[in-house]
Amino acid sequence: MFIQIRSGLSNAGDFIQFTGRFFKEVLRPPYEFKEFIRQCFSIGNRSLPLVAITGFIMGLVLTIQTRPTLAAFGAESWLPGMVSLSLIREISPVITALICAGKISSGIAAELGSMKVTEQIDAMEVSGADPFKYLVITRVLATTFMIPLLVVFADCIGIYGGYLGMNMQSGITLFRYVAKVFEALSFSDIIPATLKTFLFGFFIGMIGSHKGYTASSGTESVGKAATSAVVAASLIIFIIDMMAVQLTSLLT
Amino acid sequence: MKTHKGSAWKVGLFVITGIGLFMFFIYFIGEQKNLFGSNIRLRSVFRNVSGLKTGNNVRLAGINVGTVDDITMLTDSSVLVELIIRKNVQSFIKSDTRASIGSDGLMGDKVLTLVPGPGADQTPVKNNDLILSNPGIEMEDIMKSVKGTVENAGIISRELAVFTSKMNKGDGVLSKLISDEELSKSLKSTLTHLESSSGDFEKFTQKMNNGKGALSKLVSDESFGNSLDSTMLNLQSSTKGLSENMEAAQHNFLLRGFFNKKKKADAKKASALLTQLKKQERVTADSLGRLRKNIVADSTHRQ
Repeated sequence: MFIQIRSGLSNAGDFIQFTGRFFKEVLRPPYEFKEFIRQCFSIGNRSLPLVAITGFIMGLVLTIQTRPTLAAFGAESWLPGMVSLSLIREISPVITALICAGKISSGIAAELGSMKVTEQIDAMEVSGADPFKYLVITRVLATTFMIPLLVVFADCIGIYGGYLGMNMQSGITLFRYVAKVFEALSFSDIIPATLKTFLFGFFIGMIGSHKGYTASSGTESVGKAATSAVVAASLIIFIIDMMAVQLTSLLT
Repeated sequence: MKTHKGSAWKVGLFVITGIGLFMFFIYFIGEQKNLFGSNIRLRSVFRNVSGLKTGNNVRLAGINVGTVDDITMLTDSSVLVELIIRKNVQSFIKSDTRASIGSDGLMGDKVLTLVPGPGADQTPVKNNDLILSNPGIEMEDIMKSVKGTVENAGIISRELAVFTSKMNKGDGVLSKLISDEELSKSLKSTLTHLESSSGDFEKFTQKMNNGKGALSKLVSDESFGNSLDSTMLNLQSSTKGLSENMEAAQHNFLLRGFFNKKKKADAKKASALLTQLKKQERVTADSLGRLRKNIVADSTHRQ
């Protein structure tokens, strides 16, 4: 029991040190710009189809599921506003982040873990390249900037899915639908939601990198690193989400 | 490392599309809140803004033309409200426009409505103009007036209750008229009597107008009147003749003594008769005239 708590605490302390090292080295040249672009491609572009399909289904399903409740009040005209509000404020940031935690965080942890296990990281260090800069910083920056973009894509596709969901049972033109969506939205909906996605992205990259980078030797630990990265990233996404909700309700 | 040359443009496309969509969101939300494009500002001072908040819509003729930008307290009983209005409606807002605070539906947000003034002043508002305000309608005020109305209604219904109960069991004329069976019966019989008597009267007047009786002739027959007149004249002449005869008789010596006595008595008698006749004639003529007048009035009345 005591050992478990201590290992948990040392893990957290290690993670904080790792984060500190990231902030120390992120602004210091040389910048691995090409590797950053490559990571952006593999994190952003490659995740887009998955995020798009999820967002589309979320918008569609949310519209269909919410309709009976609103229809009971005769307020079906609020459906576009309600669906887009819940999509933008909560559902597409969290769903996108969770999918990315599963796909990207585990990917980074497995990739870095296997590099660590096969001692490629040590080899880089010996050859004079900075493995932290080359491997960790590029990946963390890529997730930090790509997740918000993915969320914006998910928002748009989700709202379009909502439009199709609306049209399944009652006709509404796309123009009127978009007008209704933007009638309901305000900056206090979109700005905090976007800001928290940067945090989601940062922690997805950070946890994946940390788990991979600190994997102990042995092939088994690669799998362990990947699993624990997904679990920790998902957990931290919900914790950040809760804190963000508290903060925005305090600030607005 | 091999993929990076081929993938760079894809990353660029991805990033630019994402940022573009985000800007699209920001722009359209800003459009809704009038943050972009050219705007003018208007100010208005209210005594009470009844829950108006920054960001509420401003409406002119039912169209959203702007938003509430700022609400600040000036004193304890005046609040300065600043509005952002789209520039393209500036020409429609005259400087005597009044701002008033309403509600958008029963559960909806507060809305600031611009109401055109009486129309004497046709100059459009300028940027940063101060426009007049109508006091907002507070729920409390409505409740107060409703309370007054309800109190009045209470008084009325109480009075009405007293009135109806009096009507039901009171002894007044009105209540008897409504509830007393005896009265209604007697009233009814009176009315039937009145009806029959008026029918009789009608028959009477009809007879009077075209009947053959003496009275009707007296009233309506002209020839009868004439003959009456001539009778009177005859009477007059005959009395004259009589008096002449009497005078002749007086002169007769045989009868002089007797006639001297008789003359006096007769003269007296005749003069009395004469005056009486004259009086009678006058009275008859008088009543004749009166009757005519009455008949004429009656006939015009009937018409």
